Amino acid sequence: MPADPDVPADLVFQSVFQLCVTIAGAVLCACLAVVYLRKVRVERPAIGVFNGRDIGILVFFLATLPVIYLLLPRWAVTCLLALTFVSALSIGYRNLVGPLRLWLGIGLLLGLNIWLARTMLGTVLGWQLFWLEGDVIMVLAAVAVANLYVQGGMRLQHVAWFALGLAGYDIVFTMVFPLTNALVEDFLGWPLDPSFGMRLGIYNAALGLGDLLVYCLFLVASYKAYGMRAARVALVLVFVLGAVAPSLAPLIINFIDARGDVVVPAQTWFGPFAFLAYLWMRRRYGRERTMREFQLAAPV
Amino acid sequence: MFETGIRQFRMAMGMVRGRRLDTGNLARLVDDARKTIAEFGEPGMDVQQIVDGPAGDPGAREHFATQGIRRTAARLAAESPFYARRFAAAGVDPAKLRPGGLGAIPVTTKADLIDRQDEFRCAGTARHLATRTTGTTGRPAEIWLSRYEIELWPALIALSAVLTDELRTSDVMQVNISSRQTAAVHLNAASCRLAGAACRVLGVVPVDEALDALADGGSTLLSASPSYLAELVLGARRRGMGPGDFRLRGIQAGGEVLSPSVAAAVSETFGVERVGDNFGMTEVIPMSARACRQGHLHHDINLGLVEYLDLETSAPAEPGALATLVMTPFFPYRDCMPVFRYDTRDVVRMLPEEPLACELKAGHLLRTGSGDLVTPRQLVEAVEGLPTRPWPARFRASVHNGRLRLTLPAGAVDGFGEAAARAHFAEAGLDVALEIVPDGQAISLRHVRSDLHETTFSARPALIGA
Repeated sequence: MPADPDVPADLVFQSVFQLCVTIAGAVLCACLAVVYLRKVRVERPAIGVFNGRDIGILVFFLATLPVIYLLLPRWAVTCLLALTFVSALSIGYRNLVGPLRLWLGIGLLLGLNIWLARTMLGTVLGWQLFWLEGDVIMVLAAVAVANLYVQGGMRLQHVAWFALGLAGYDIVFTMVFPLTNALVEDFLGWPLDPSFGMRLGIYNAALGLGDLLVYCLFLVASYKAYGMRAARVALVLVFVLGAVAPSLAPLIINFIDARGDVVVPAQTWFGPFAFLAYLWMRRRYGRERTMREFQLAAPV
Repeated sequence: MFETGIRQFRMAMGMVRGRRLDTGNLARLVDDARKTIAEFGEPGMDVQQIVDGPAGDPGAREHFATQGIRRTAARLAAESPFYARRFAAAGVDPAKLRPGGLGAIPVTTKADLIDRQDEFRCAGTARHLATRTTGTTGRPAEIWLSRYEIELWPALIALSAVLTDELRTSDVMQVNISSRQTAAVHLNAASCRLAGAACRVLGVVPVDEALDALADGGSTLLSASPSYLAELVLGARRRGMGPGDFRLRGIQAGGEVLSPSVAAAVSETFGVERVGDNFGMTEVIPMSARACRQGHLHHDINLGLVEYLDLETSAPAEPGALATLVMTPFFPYRDCMPVFRYDTRDVVRMLPEEPLACELKAGHLLRTGSGDLVTPRQLVEAVEGLPTRPWPARFRASVHNGRLRLTLPAGAVDGFGEAAARAHFAEAGLDVALEIVPDGQAISLRHVRSDLHETTFSARPALIGA
């Protein structure tokens, strides 16, 4: 099949590379989140269940955090990110490893990432090490936070609305007010960049931590709500609309910004379909299981 | 989840700083607790911290009690005419009071409360609901409650009850206490409302009506006095009813001595594992206590200070001694007519480290010729332990020539014999001279709460045009 003369060859390569990274990140992370749900119980507060207003609060934070990140000095952003990851990792994994190993592990992971970012980004191999080490942190954090929310009572209904809200947010702040683009530019190569990514040659391919979190949430919440049958549907959706569609979208739609970066609003693809999938599941499978019903059906 | 965290923080800060609690915030927290139970089946791991409150931490207990006493005394000195005068006369500075050093302030008695009721009301508080003591142990005292108190207490009770699984949304609570106990009735009804449970307030109605409601109305919780419970047991047995006829999962008793005999019979008849034995008193509401399985009385020390004073010297009681309970509800848990160092005249026996079961009313203690003190609990337990099951216990006790004289209705020893009864009392450590009177005099021997009968048209044909 002859190549389309309107699509540059490097964009094809970049898209395929992005596809590989995104599939690896999204699918691996979402599947690990389900494994975590089946094996580990997160400690939760004495009183409190996730509700619709919590989703509103989350969306509000997600909308304001990028602005704060851009306004704060670098060291403050790094501190804020470090605090975020320390919280996520310590809450998510304190039931799995002892306190000594936990804090040693968190310290090593975060410390190494900061060191790599400051010293190793002069070579492609250095970038690859930086990304790989950061990817471990991102996957661990997304798995932990997704479980913290879902095991804290977040339902598929909430996740669906959350994804839909982010879809709107993503398109506005990528296409209308390019805040996401500014963030991607700003964070690249900085310690604790909240992205899952990799480098090949001159190309960096990455998937935002927020996107990873939504995919994890959707799969985990589907599994909790309706079991494996719904999880399969969710996984297909994550694969097709969370990984494939956004990665290959630049071949069809021009997402190239002034600097030459390709920034695709992934949730714009995923959110609406995730919401429709939720409506379909609710119609087909009925009421979502509570956490108690889930635990009774699949005890740890 | 986020809002709940903020609500918990607000409640905790209010408790620690001793400011008026936002009752709306508490009610919403109860709702959060209900939703938590609905989602997870149980609260999270650190629930005990919420149930125990700030005083649950032994290290902070002394500090918490000191702050509570000072805060309460300062408010009373400024707003309660009775205590402003009393503190001034005692020459105490509320800001320097300590829980262990309150001896300079005379205890408040029931007579004070009855004779000078108006002087107890704090300035700036609006009266909302009056509640009275039942008067089974003397003249009734009337306590006025503010709207704040009426909203606060049920919220605190409901929060604790939902978190400890004592109240579920599926519960139907049947209340068989006197309808005139307005505060207690309100607390039950309002707690159920907040917890999403149903509440059936029946009062001290004829036993058959209460049994019908229990059996046919699907009640799952029952609140009644021990004497009424004893009557329910006798009524149920008379009708051949047993555990299979009821859906009860919990029974709470209070206001009187619950003897082991009656407690066991209640458990057996209604099919509940254990009958909750609670201590509560209108004058010191919302302070309360619960008897554990060992019979030890455990007070909720988050809401106030409990002192155990020697019956004769009024000094802190020694281990093993009998002591009167002197209670001080803290601000902000008491608002309209607070009491400070209220001498309940309910007696406990001290353990080496904590008080033992409540014995009830020091005024009824008897000293025999050998110098032994006989408590109402000993007598109630011994009488109700008779094989004839003379429930609720009807007796009159007095000391004649140094020996305990026990007057019983004939039914109490019917078919058992006086000699066997004396031996039974001797086994219980009571050397008694028995006096038997006709059953018709039984009620006049000793009043119990179940005597506060409330008639109904269904129980007795109404006279029309008479």
